[in-house]
Amino acid sequence: MEDQLNDNYYPETLVVGGGIAGIQASLEIANSKNKVYLLEKTGTIGGHMAKFDKTFPTLDCAACILTPKMVEVGQHDFIKLITNSELLSISGTPGNFSVKILKHTRRVNIKVCIGCGICAEKCPTKVVDEFDEGTSLRKAIYIPFPQAVPNKYLIDPEHCTYVQSGKCGVCAKVCPADAVELDSIDETIELKVGNIILATGFKPFDARKIDQFAYGKYPNVLTSLELERLINASGPTGGEITFRSQDKKGNWIFQKGNGEPKSFAIIHCVGSRDEQHRKYCSRVCCMYSLKLAHLIKEKIPKAEVCEYFIDMRAYGKGYEEFYERIQSEGVNLIRGRTAKVESKNGYLRLRSEDIIHQKIIESEVDMVILSVGLEPADDTVKLAKMAGIEIGDDGWFRQLGIDSDAEHTSKKGILIAGACQGPKDIPDSVAQGSAAAAIVLQNVMKNVRPAGHEMSVSEHIVDVPDIV
Amino acid sequence: MSYTINTAFKKELTKYGAGNWNECFHCGNCTAICPLTEDGFLFPRKSIRSIQLGLDEKITANIDPWLCYYCGECSETCPRDANPGELMMTLRRYLTAAYDWTGLARKFYTSKIWEFGVMVIFFLIIITLFALFLPPSSQIFSNPAAFINAEGGVMINQMVDGISGEQFMKIIHYGDWVMAAIVAILLVSNIFSMFYKVILRDKSIQIPVTAYFTEFWQLIYNFLVQPKFSKCENKNYWSGHLFLMTGYTIMFIVIVTMLPLFQIEEIKPWYHWQRLLGYYATFGIMYFLIVAAIGRIKKSNIKFKFSHPSDWLFIVMLGLTTISGILVHIFRITGLPLLTYVTYVLHLAILVPMIIIEVPFSKWSHLAYRPFAAYFERLKKAAIRYQLKNEKLITT
Repeated sequence: MEDQLNDNYYPETLVVGGGIAGIQASLEIANSKNKVYLLEKTGTIGGHMAKFDKTFPTLDCAACILTPKMVEVGQHDFIKLITNSELLSISGTPGNFSVKILKHTRRVNIKVCIGCGICAEKCPTKVVDEFDEGTSLRKAIYIPFPQAVPNKYLIDPEHCTYVQSGKCGVCAKVCPADAVELDSIDETIELKVGNIILATGFKPFDARKIDQFAYGKYPNVLTSLELERLINASGPTGGEITFRSQDKKGNWIFQKGNGEPKSFAIIHCVGSRDEQHRKYCSRVCCMYSLKLAHLIKEKIPKAEVCEYFIDMRAYGKGYEEFYERIQSEGVNLIRGRTAKVESKNGYLRLRSEDIIHQKIIESEVDMVILSVGLEPADDTVKLAKMAGIEIGDDGWFRQLGIDSDAEHTSKKGILIAGACQGPKDIPDSVAQGSAAAAIVLQNVMKNVRPAGHEMSVSEHIVDVPDIV
Repeated sequence: MSYTINTAFKKELTKYGAGNWNECFHCGNCTAICPLTEDGFLFPRKSIRSIQLGLDEKITANIDPWLCYYCGECSETCPRDANPGELMMTLRRYLTAAYDWTGLARKFYTSKIWEFGVMVIFFLIIITLFALFLPPSSQIFSNPAAFINAEGGVMINQMVDGISGEQFMKIIHYGDWVMAAIVAILLVSNIFSMFYKVILRDKSIQIPVTAYFTEFWQLIYNFLVQPKFSKCENKNYWSGHLFLMTGYTIMFIVIVTMLPLFQIEEIKPWYHWQRLLGYYATFGIMYFLIVAAIGRIKKSNIKFKFSHPSDWLFIVMLGLTTISGILVHIFRITGLPLLTYVTYVLHLAILVPMIIIEVPFSKWSHLAYRPFAAYFERLKKAAIRYQLKNEKLITT
């Protein structure tokens, strides 16, 4: 019988990926008083949700929902948070995995760092900020965003002058807590866990791959995530929507006071539903495009916003109502996906066919936003090999069965949750996180009993009358 | 005005070309990226919709396929890989068959046996006619020098016993006229059929009579220069085609109207205007044929990716006609009478079936349908302007 108690079964779980799905799974497991290791590649948990300004369909502030969970994770007795680290190998059998993790050094002792920020002030090196999707610059020593967990600094070794050439070291000199350890090295740690949940999320489609939309050619063609950061109060302009222009060094930057665009075009299905790129529909883009239209109009009430779409997919709870709301706010919706974006007289010119009207529609706008789709993250193939699980034809981790086994993989003890299983929105990612956690706890409960607790049969049975 | 979906028609259309047009999800990208579309004449998406619903009458009334020159941008950027460019090509083949009231075009496009079969039959007929009525003189074998003229070339009209050189040339000449007349009558009747289907049957448009005259120059202009083709982004195809077209037109005019002047016994020097004209025409035809043939073999450009048998047949027949013509010329000037005669007969045996099938019933008909489509487009636009001006309702 499978339900034998197993002395060699480790009740600890490794969750790979600190996005909303990984956070949810970790909390569910940890709240049952089982230990979780939450492994995150970057310097903070939060994932993509931390970048969003508001979520659809409620227009709740993304950070307001996410950060309490992040803090809970950071303070939880049963969660050990391992950030700035990556998975090296997985070996062993279900219930008995041995994982090797490469802990990249922050070169900052987080037990000592007080997060004052003087190091970042004095750091001479500016780097394109990935959290802000390239719309702003950070320093080589940085906190990814103000609500990061752990809320401590880390050094980016690729751009740090000291790491690359031995010079500088200003941060160490000015740190009042003596927290900077410039010479510390990476270390490898080994963990023993019983189950692994992969919640490694997605990456946005690289719009440079499609020439027609001139992304990368004209500065005011943005991706949806770039606009999301621009609108966010913690973004490059403090939430002001401005034109992007070139600075003296030739970098494209957003600056407060750079002028306000008055007309916008949002083009759907960039990279998705496309035989030449990603055949699938990325599920969330129609909804986030409507959301962005709303956010633009909130900041610039007189803005003209046009959405060019193929189909409008608003299938979830409250989604159709959200669609109707955005329509009522005067956003122009045009069925007909733009074919090309060109520059003319300082405007961006779009050519599309208005399918319903059966006419060519040519419009000139100040700013074009590309609703890029979701793609599997870069390390998906590597992780699948490590874990011994399959990748589907579409590039995402392959689940055991789409109808009832979406979190299971072909290997027992390895589960998937969130966008890494397939593009999905926040509610569904959270649900999958919980589902994966339930499966893990089922596995654990079958094999492990907390010491000293023997449940007798009579405790279970409740008096239930026979069905007549 | 309601309609019903005609599934049988959808199936019928697949015989005329390849394409995944069921997969089109109407994003409009193809229409928007096409440099040749304008309001009122939007393609290719609208045509794809007509096919998806099997709207046969709407399709035969539509001239959009003739306004497309297959640059292939639409197919290259289609997110569903539905090959809209190839669809327009398929529709051109279908319309060629639809305009033809005899029903023969339809047979040629949908049945390889018919198309190749008829070609072979006419090939054999020509050879038989020559064998029976215009056989070569026996002297060709015994005394070939008898046919060589002062310049060392073959006296081409003298090679048949019992008739004079002039009579021989006249027989060929009149034969050309008969063939040209038959083909012209068929083609003109098909143009009327096109006119009926595109203009007369459409009750919603009223074309002012003056427009037929004021827009007539469009017909001539489009026939001669193909200006719409030049609006594609890659102008090389337009210029290459113009080279071929002028070459072919010269050949046609020379053969039909000036054969007595050209098919003569003396060999003119190479710089003579007659020879230079011939070389220009030959080179023009061969150059673009080779470009097309290589393109279709290598599938280098998206417009060459799909080849219907009719595409290859056109290239092969015109290519063989031109090559056999080149050989006739070479054998003539190098003084080889038997080979001259043989290749001359072959030349005619290939040329006649090609003209008879291609001009009224197959690919060559585009020489009429495209300029007339441009003409009809202008007529329709004139109708819309007239109706708007007179505030008449346009019902579609």
